[in-house]
Amino acid sequence: MTLKKFVYLLAFGILALAAMPVMASVQTGHAAPDFTGTDVNGETIKLSDYKGQKVILEWTNHQCPFVVKHYDSGNMQKTQKAATDQGVVWLTITSSAEGKQGYTTPAEAKAIMEETGSHATTRILDPSGEIGHMYGAKTTPHMYIIDEDGTLVYQGAIDSNSSPRQSAIAGAKNYVLAALDELNAGHPVTDATTAPYGCAVKY
Amino acid sequence: MVFAPHSMAQEKAQEPEQYVKVRLLSERSAVGPGQDIWIGIEQSIHPGWHTYWRNPGDSGSAPRVDWTLPDDWKISDIHWPAPEKIPYDPLLNYGYSGNVILLQKLTTPPIMKGGPVTLTADFEVLVCKEICIPEFGTYTLTLNDPENMNENNEAYLASAREKLPVPSTVSAVFSERDGTLEVRLSEWPEDIAAETLELFPLEWGLIENTAPLQTRMDNGALILSQDRADRPLNDIKQTDFVITGKGADGNRHAYQITASAEGTPAPGTESSPLPALLGALFFALLGGMILNLMPCVFPVLSLKALSLSKNANKKDQTPARRSGLAYTAGVVLSFLAIAGILIALKAAGAQIGWGFQLQNPVVVSLLAYLLFIIGLNLSGLFEISGHFGNVGNKLTQGTDITASFFSGVLATIVATPCTAPFMAAALGYALTQPAYISLLIFAVLGLGLALPYLALSYTPSLGKMLPKPGKWMETFRQLLAFPMFASAAWLVWVVSQQTGSMGMLGVLMGLVLIAFAFWLIQHQPKDSNRKILVLVLAALTFLTAFALLPKDTVAVKQQHEISFGEPFSHAALNEYLQGDDPVFVEMTAAWCITCKANHKIAIDIPQTRQIFAEKNVKYLVGDWTNQDPNITEYLNTFDRNGVPLYVYYGPRDDVTKKRPQPNVLPQLLTPGIVKDRIK
Repeated sequence: MTLKKFVYLLAFGILALAAMPVMASVQTGHAAPDFTGTDVNGETIKLSDYKGQKVILEWTNHQCPFVVKHYDSGNMQKTQKAATDQGVVWLTITSSAEGKQGYTTPAEAKAIMEETGSHATTRILDPSGEIGHMYGAKTTPHMYIIDEDGTLVYQGAIDSNSSPRQSAIAGAKNYVLAALDELNAGHPVTDATTAPYGCAVKY
Repeated sequence: MVFAPHSMAQEKAQEPEQYVKVRLLSERSAVGPGQDIWIGIEQSIHPGWHTYWRNPGDSGSAPRVDWTLPDDWKISDIHWPAPEKIPYDPLLNYGYSGNVILLQKLTTPPIMKGGPVTLTADFEVLVCKEICIPEFGTYTLTLNDPENMNENNEAYLASAREKLPVPSTVSAVFSERDGTLEVRLSEWPEDIAAETLELFPLEWGLIENTAPLQTRMDNGALILSQDRADRPLNDIKQTDFVITGKGADGNRHAYQITASAEGTPAPGTESSPLPALLGALFFALLGGMILNLMPCVFPVLSLKALSLSKNANKKDQTPARRSGLAYTAGVVLSFLAIAGILIALKAAGAQIGWGFQLQNPVVVSLLAYLLFIIGLNLSGLFEISGHFGNVGNKLTQGTDITASFFSGVLATIVATPCTAPFMAAALGYALTQPAYISLLIFAVLGLGLALPYLALSYTPSLGKMLPKPGKWMETFRQLLAFPMFASAAWLVWVVSQQTGSMGMLGVLMGLVLIAFAFWLIQHQPKDSNRKILVLVLAALTFLTAFALLPKDTVAVKQQHEISFGEPFSHAALNEYLQGDDPVFVEMTAAWCITCKANHKIAIDIPQTRQIFAEKNVKYLVGDWTNQDPNITEYLNTFDRNGVPLYVYYGPRDDVTKKRPQPNVLPQLLTPGIVKDRIK
C-alpha cells in the first residue's frame, strides 16, 4: 500500500487504541444504555430484561467509608426495601478491579449481602469496569434510577449530605426515595441530577 | 491550648494513627474587642495521601469545620488555597497534598469579657490515597491566656494567605457551546503562560474534570473551554472559578473570578435600582417619543403631521387612521427587525451593544449618505417621480398605506444614530434579557416613536390645530432639509474619528458625487440616446460614491479629546482598585452626543478637575467609538449596553479596609451631581 494509506491506517489505529478506556456519561432524560452483566449467582443479567419495570443501580464498595455509613446505619437497606416493595428492581453493582479495594468473589459478595441484610434484587460483579464506564459511575455509592421506558430519570448521590458521619443521614434528603415518590405521583423528578459523593470507584 | 502535633519520626516505623495532622493556629495569642484576626487550620498530610478542595472533583469530600464560639464572636467561611489536580484514572479530584492551611477570619465583638477565651472546632477531613479514610477530631484554641501570650504565627499565616486565589474584577461570562463549557474573560495578564492554565470550578458537575482545557485568545479576551459534564446549566446564573497559571516569575498564580451566564445581568453592583421590565418599557416608550424631537427624525414627523392637516377637515377620517396604523406598523416592525439582528448577532457570539451599528464606519457613512439624500430631496434638488414615488411628496401628502409604512421604516433608520438619554438604560437592560423581552422592549420603543403621529391620525381635531396647508409648506419643507444636513455632517465627523481624515475625505467626496448623480438624473435630456448615457453616468457616479466608503478603522485614539484622565483598560482599573484612591470611570463614544455634552458640562470643568485633584481620583476614560469587547463587557457588568456610563468607586475605608459599592451616576450629568457623588 502507499505510504499515505499506511500513515492514515496507523493514525486510525493509534486513535482507536487511545480511545479505549473511555468514561462515558449518560444525560438524565436520555435512554439508559443496555448492559449485560453476571450476578453473584452466575446468572446473566441484562438491563433490557427489566423493561416495563423501574430499575435502580447502586454502585458499591463494601470497604468504602461512605458505603459503610449507609449500610451500618441501615439506611441503604431501608431504601432498597422501600423500592423493591414497590416492584422496583434494585441492582447493586461492584466495579472494583481485581486486587483493588471492594473487589469480591461471588461467594464473598453473597456473604456481604446476607450479613448486611441487603434487600437488593441481586448484585452484579463488574470487575472489568465495563458497566461502570458505560454509566460514568464515579463514586461509591453512586445511584441511577431508570424508569419503565428505559429512560434515565435520576443520577447522583443517595442523599444530600456528603459527610462520612452516620449522624448526617437523619437531616439529609434521600434523593432516591424522593424521586420514587415523585415518579409515582406522575411528576417529573425535581432533583434529577445531583453531585454523587463517596470514594472513587476502584477501576 | 494548641493541639500538639506528633513528631514525624514516629511514623517511619508503622502506619500512622492519623494520615492528617491537624493544628489550629491563630495570628497572635492576644486579641482585643472589635478586631479581626486570622485563624488557620493546618493540615499536615502524610506523604502520598491527599485531602480535598471545596469542590472535591469526581469523588471524595471537602473537609468541614464546625466552630463553637463565645457569644457574638463571628468566624468567616473558609478561604481555600488554590488546589491541585489529583488524577486517579479514570477520575480526577481537586485537593491538596503535603502541608495546607485553610484560613478563616475571626471577628471579636465590640464588647468582650476579659480573661482567656477558648474556641472549639470539630473538624472532619477525608484523606485518601488508594483508599479513603475519614478522620475526625475536636481541636481547641485559647486566646488571651496569660500563661501563653507568645504565639506569633503572623508571618506564617501571611504566607499562607499568599496561596489564596486573588479575587479578580475581570468581567467573565460562561456559556455552553458544542458540548463544552466556555468561560470568556475580558482580560488576562499577559505574562501567564497559556499552556499552564488550569480551570477549577467551585460548583460540581459543570465540566468533565478529566478533560483537557482548551485556551484561545479573541481580541484581547481569553476563552477557556473544557468538555461539559451532566449537570444542567439553566439554573445557574452566576458561578465562580479559580484559574491558575505559571507567571513569568516561574511561580504559580491563582485568581478567582465570578462568571455570569451569557445573557444574564452580571453581579449587580449598581447603586441605582435596576429597571424592572415595566420600568424599562416605560423608559422605552418615553425614549421613543423623545426621539421625535431629534434633528434626524423631526423632519419626517413634521412633514407627516402636515400631511394629516390636509385631511383634517374631511369627513372620512379612515385614510388618516389607516395611515397612522401603517406608519406605526412600519416603525414597530423595523425596530423588531433591528432587535432581531442584534439578538442573532449576540447569539452568534458577537460582543455588541446598542450603538454597535455606529461602530462600523461603512454603516455610519451609509447613514450619512441617506440623511444627505433626504436633505437634498427636501430642499428640492430632485424629485423622484414615477415608480419610486416622490419621497418628499409622499411625506407631505401621501396618506396611503404603503407610503405610510415605508415612511415608518425610514423614520426608524434615521432615528438610530440619535440615541436619546432615556434609551440607554432600557436598551442596556433589553439586550441582556431573553429574546422575547428584548423584542418587547424594542417594539415598545418603536411604539413610542410612532405614537405622536398615531395620535394625530386619530385626532382630527389636533390636525385642525395645525396650520392650514399653503405655499409656506414648500418653504417649510426646504427648511427641514437643514436638520438633515446637520445630522449628516455630524455623522461625517464620526467617520473622521473612526477612520481618520482620509476616510472623511472619502465620504465627503461621496456626498458630492451623490449630489451630482441626482442632479444628472434631474436634468436628463429628453433625447433617449443621451438620456441613457446620462443615466449610466449617474449610476456610475453613485457606484463610485459607494466605492469610496471607508472601511478600515484607524486607531485614532490620540485625536480624541481625552483632555485629562487616562485610557481605560481592565488592567489599569484592577490596579487602581487594589489601591486606596477613588476611581472614576467614564465610558464614551465619538458618536454619542449625550456623552460629549456631559463631558463638556460636568466633567471637563475647573470645579471637577479640582475635586479630582484634591481627592486623588483616578480617572479612566473608555472610548467605545469602535468595537471594543472589553468595554462592551464592562458595560454589561452594570446592565448597560450603550454609552454613556459613569461609575464612581469610592476610596478604601481606613477602618474596614473595604471599598464601598461602585456608584453609577445618572446619564445626564450636572457639575452638582458629580460633586455630590464624590463626597
